Amino acid sequence: MRLNRSEFLTLTAGTAGALALSGCTEITRRASAPGLPERLGEAEAAEHSHEWRLLNRMSFGPRPGDLERVREMGADAYIEEQLAPERIEESRAAWMRLLPLDTLEMDAADAQDWEMANYPEVGKGQAAVELQQACVLRSVYSTRQLQEVMVEFWTDHFNVSQLKAECSWLKTVDDRLLRKHALGKFRDLVNASAHSPAMLFYLDNDKNEKRDPKTGSGANENYARELLELHTLGVDGDYSLKDIQEVARCFTGWTYKKGFTFWPGDFVFDAKKHDDGPKRVLGVPIPPGQGVKDGEQVIDIVCEHPSTARFVARKLCRRFVADQAPEALVARLAGVFTKTDGDIRQVLSVLFRSEEFRHAGNRKLKRPFDFAVSALRGVNADTTGAGVLPYLERMGQLPYKWTMPDGYPERVDAWTPSLLSRWNFALDLVTDKIPGTRVNAPALAKATGEKEPLEVYRALSRSLLGQALPPDRLRSLVDLSQKGGREVRQCLALLLATPAFQWR
Amino acid sequence: MPQPSSQPRISRRDLLRGKGKTSKLVFRPETGPGGDVLIAIFLRGAMDGLHTVPPLGDDHYARQRPTLAIPEPGKAKAALDLDGYFGLHPDLDPLLELWQERRLAVVHAIGSPDTTLSHFEAMQTMERGVSDGNTTASGWLSRHLASLAVENTSPVRALAFGDVLPKSLQGSLSATAVRSLKEFRLGIPKDWDAGFRGLLTSLYEEGQDPASRAGRNILELLESLEKLDPDTYQPERSAKYPETEFGRGLRQVAQFVKADVGLEVASVDLGGWDAHVAQVALMTGLMTQLSQGLHALYTDLGDRMRRVTVLAMTEFGRRVHENSGLGTDHGRASAMFVLGGGVRGGKVYGRWPGVAPAQLDKDGNLRVTTDYRDILSEVVTKRLRNPHADRVFPDYTPRPLSLFEPVT
Repeated sequence: MRLNRSEFLTLTAGTAGALALSGCTEITRRASAPGLPERLGEAEAAEHSHEWRLLNRMSFGPRPGDLERVREMGADAYIEEQLAPERIEESRAAWMRLLPLDTLEMDAADAQDWEMANYPEVGKGQAAVELQQACVLRSVYSTRQLQEVMVEFWTDHFNVSQLKAECSWLKTVDDRLLRKHALGKFRDLVNASAHSPAMLFYLDNDKNEKRDPKTGSGANENYARELLELHTLGVDGDYSLKDIQEVARCFTGWTYKKGFTFWPGDFVFDAKKHDDGPKRVLGVPIPPGQGVKDGEQVIDIVCEHPSTARFVARKLCRRFVADQAPEALVARLAGVFTKTDGDIRQVLSVLFRSEEFRHAGNRKLKRPFDFAVSALRGVNADTTGAGVLPYLERMGQLPYKWTMPDGYPERVDAWTPSLLSRWNFALDLVTDKIPGTRVNAPALAKATGEKEPLEVYRALSRSLLGQALPPDRLRSLVDLSQKGGREVRQCLALLLATPAFQWR
Repeated sequence: MPQPSSQPRISRRDLLRGKGKTSKLVFRPETGPGGDVLIAIFLRGAMDGLHTVPPLGDDHYARQRPTLAIPEPGKAKAALDLDGYFGLHPDLDPLLELWQERRLAVVHAIGSPDTTLSHFEAMQTMERGVSDGNTTASGWLSRHLASLAVENTSPVRALAFGDVLPKSLQGSLSATAVRSLKEFRLGIPKDWDAGFRGLLTSLYEEGQDPASRAGRNILELLESLEKLDPDTYQPERSAKYPETEFGRGLRQVAQFVKADVGLEVASVDLGGWDAHVAQVALMTGLMTQLSQGLHALYTDLGDRMRRVTVLAMTEFGRRVHENSGLGTDHGRASAMFVLGGGVRGGKVYGRWPGVAPAQLDKDGNLRVTTDYRDILSEVVTKRLRNPHADRVFPDYTPRPLSLFEPVT
């Protein structure tokens, strides 16, 4: 259902109706909470188990019972399943929780109006918060985990910060584009991003115009530079300053409708501002008079360039295998990328089945978002997502808030300072201090099917870490005073705070 | 297997000394810890350098500023003499002691290449440490932290006092915006067993992975951090910080410095210098805050000041001519205050371009003769012990003024 602005404002004016609706949603949300397996924490993952690694890297961490499920269906079947999200039935838990979020499907102008109508005192920001909330909810509850992981990957790759003025609303539209192409063809992603008003505004291409011969002003190379450096060829991708300038000329006039136009926020090519002279990009001549086709041709040129295949392959390896990407695998994946015309699905299919992936070890530090989501999943938390956001901010990784175009970093050393905030998140999570978020610790303990505390902890430990804590640590846990169920929460907090849980 | 002749055998000892072609393979810490703590104060709104540090020796100064010029020493409300040419505004009186002890220096006619004279753009240029702020570069302090190869996983490595990170620290995950140092606590519920913390500590005891190492470091620092209470803090030598957000910020910085918890960079703001009207009244309170704050910090830290550098900078200065509202409009060059144990103080640095009409730029502004990065890069190199000033200021070749002693 798509409403225009006035219809929408009429609808939302009925506050009583909206309240009743949200009451209903609350009940349905609780009813839709995912269940627990029959026997939690039964399986132990060997240290380098392929299944454990797949669950930790293709998804935002295993939910109770996931390890058993993947073992049963087999790693290959799991990879196949996750590579075809369109064939996976979305969980009720995910979509019921997304229902109360009004702005996810709106265009930027409608989201802005909605915000002014519903949050006049805040003025700005609620639509942006809804998108962050949706990001948490999808990552925690979606059954299409690889899809969500890849959306996060492209969100960093084509970073747009909500903090830059209109991006507060434009990012919501931009996010839909990345979701659509997350497992598709790379060229479609670049093309969508190049036309995305959020990107055009964020990297100033809306100010990129034909150079004024008198003042020399007009051109803005920001987008052109990042397109080459961050989106396609990579910083070592063999291009020159001249190439950046020529690419910028090709994209002159690529902007979006602003202000009081009919559909503000849509892409528009402004021929008056386009530099229609001849150009040359990476050795390829661009004939004069092509208009909007200049930019499209540039997208073809850069997406087909061998540097792009290597750059994307290396970045995927860094995300999924190791900070130091294995070069042999990079070369193989770049080959697949080139052969399949940049088909992300096929590249990932080879990656997850590679020997390098199998033997990657626990060498990837979870970033704070990954940590928080894997904790919520691991303890089967019930959350509305909103209460988690301040914690993500404290840990340094609130979605869509990275201000620079390179996206949140992937390196280990960037994230070790967040440890104290991680521990506090774990403590607040298991003690139900996070607003709108509950952990049913007794139910988790019960689901282990064990009676003795030591065995309960052992099973919980297997479920969260893939293997049991050393026996002496388990015994120390038992020694902690046991006051009415708190000890299970202490055990959960400790497992989430442990070094092992920081790695994936 | 025989060695190829082009690559002579390299002994382990050579490797340790960093000899031979394979020196890239050798782990050489690029710098040890032990650089200064840097306190970066941003005077937002464009502070008038002609008002705070008046060029009394410039004949044209009093003529150009008929109502706003600060009188020469000997007269009422006169400037305090600094070096016979420049004076100090009387409201900055507390700074005179620091000047006389040669811990305070002034750089005059300093600024950035920004010519938009927009607060936002000029601050962005300066905080990003670039020539043109209209890019998406990270902050200069972020690049400094990222290029310095010290393994400092302290949660308080870089702090910004205020609600948000300033642009200078954007792009750094080592940096935290902080309202109160009470935020650095481990929130174990009160009714939990005391053994919980011990158990957590034991889980971090052995691992050699980066998370375990960072965890050990943080657990150790927490013991110190948890003892810090801003409410009961007593500054030493009866130092008195102003009871303002700026004063409280500096006071907390002093607490962190004394606690030795891994603080490398602190950012504190003092805003409101945009004196388009009624400049005298507006600047008095700010100058009092600035000078009392710096004096209190200097007094409170005492000997620890040896390893602290303070920079107080502003995005640009103000028009030389007064406007009709007894104020001044946006200009170009201003002054920077530099304080610290490693400062060759008691001196005004920079080439004075003069305020005679012919000496101003086409818009009537004091010319910039020192680029702000000349100072910043010298701090980075000499006081913060970062050998990669070129990575911190990639589009600029600095001309240092030799304002700092290197850390010894």
